[in-house]
Amino acid sequence: MLAGLYTAAAGMEAQQTRMEAIANDLANVSTNGYKSLRVGFRDLLYQAPGRGGGAGTQTGAGATAGLIGHDFGQGGLMATERPLDVALSGPGFIRVRGRDGGIALTRDGNLGLTPDGRLRTSNGQLLEPPVQLPRGTDPDEVEIRSDGTVSAGGRRAGRITILNVTNPDGLAADGESALRPTAASGPLTAAPQTRVQQGVLEASNVDMADATVEMMNAQRGFELASRAIQMQDEVLAVANGVKR
Amino acid sequence: MDRGLYIAASGMLTEMVRQDQIANELANSSTPGYKADRTAQRGFGELLLSNSRNGSVVGPLGLGVEIDETRTDLSPGPIHDTGKALDLAIEGEGFFAVRTPAGVRYTRNGQFTASAAGLLTDSLGNQVLGPGGAPVRLRGDGSLSAADVGVFAVNGARKSGDSLFTGTAAGAGSGQVRAGALEESATDPARSMVDMIASFRALEANQKAIQTIDETLGQFAGQVGAVS
Repeated sequence: MLAGLYTAAAGMEAQQTRMEAIANDLANVSTNGYKSLRVGFRDLLYQAPGRGGGAGTQTGAGATAGLIGHDFGQGGLMATERPLDVALSGPGFIRVRGRDGGIALTRDGNLGLTPDGRLRTSNGQLLEPPVQLPRGTDPDEVEIRSDGTVSAGGRRAGRITILNVTNPDGLAADGESALRPTAASGPLTAAPQTRVQQGVLEASNVDMADATVEMMNAQRGFELASRAIQMQDEVLAVANGVKR
Repeated sequence: MDRGLYIAASGMLTEMVRQDQIANELANSSTPGYKADRTAQRGFGELLLSNSRNGSVVGPLGLGVEIDETRTDLSPGPIHDTGKALDLAIEGEGFFAVRTPAGVRYTRNGQFTASAAGLLTDSLGNQVLGPGGAPVRLRGDGSLSAADVGVFAVNGARKSGDSLFTGTAAGAGSGQVRAGALEESATDPARSMVDMIASFRALEANQKAIQTIDETLGQFAGQVGAVS
């Protein structure tokens, strides 16, 4: 008899999950290479209500929401004119050395040089295989071609390796902005179609307008479900009021 | 005489079931591809009352109500663009088919994702089926061709939870798959609110009927039977 209360509460909880995802997206609206979250909604179990309904009747138990991964769509490209900034256009990731020494992947192309001249990401992870520039190279002399080849002063120094996986949603976090392949992400593949652009960064793919509309929508959904809870409460009060 | 108590109680039970259904409707206001439930109410049958002395007909008497069946309104809902590659919507009639451990199920909720093997799955990991009934494989770069995803006509579609429907496939559906879009929930907040209020007042009226009958019975017991 109290099932309806929980049905409505499940709806509120689902909207809460969505709200948290939107808040996370909005907090990362300026994070380079950030990919927005996807929230999946579904309804819950249906069953016969018992008394009050015939054999053809079923009532639902509400809704649930959960994260179903990221939207890996391309983020906008911002020209920075900084020679060690690179952006990927197309799917895939830059291969870097993971914290445990294994393979890690990132789309954060805000690169820099270690004191001994190797390319690293903004949080210090070395590219893998390493790209070694001559010591004391002036970043302005570095040229990065669209296939990822890095050269300094006309001499080839190495190549930025672009890898992709079958299911990027299966990647696990490895440090701040890198990801680590897992069994769920599937095999690593080359991404020959993906281009590397120098002097450009990939912006977050969160769309402020979309996120704001989603937030309003989530709030209205929350309100609707909370109205249903209030009504369920009043219904139960009337039922209890039969006996004065 | 006390028959009226049970008739009014059945009315209350019916309205409470209806409130549960409206709560489910409102809880699913953001579930893509959610289809609204409509309820049909029926009486338990009627008796013809007649005067036991002279046999003249008094009139029919209902014996109460219950919700006869829940019917799901399967008409297509509005579609909005999300721009996300693995969000799919069906424009027109038909269902996506997914392979679950319990057999093939159908859904209009196109919030799909990919498996490690590069197959298209729903949010619970069930494989989405193509027009021929084989799993849908994503392209090497993780993108999807909308034509690879099957749309099926389904007879006797009935909700089974998790956005899935049971039913029997009846060939291809007439709808077209659109990528980067989702079908909105069919919950109509205005209608649900009005239904909720109307049902609540009906519940109250039934409660008043019970109380009135109770008072009448109380007067019988307390005053008619009093000796002094």
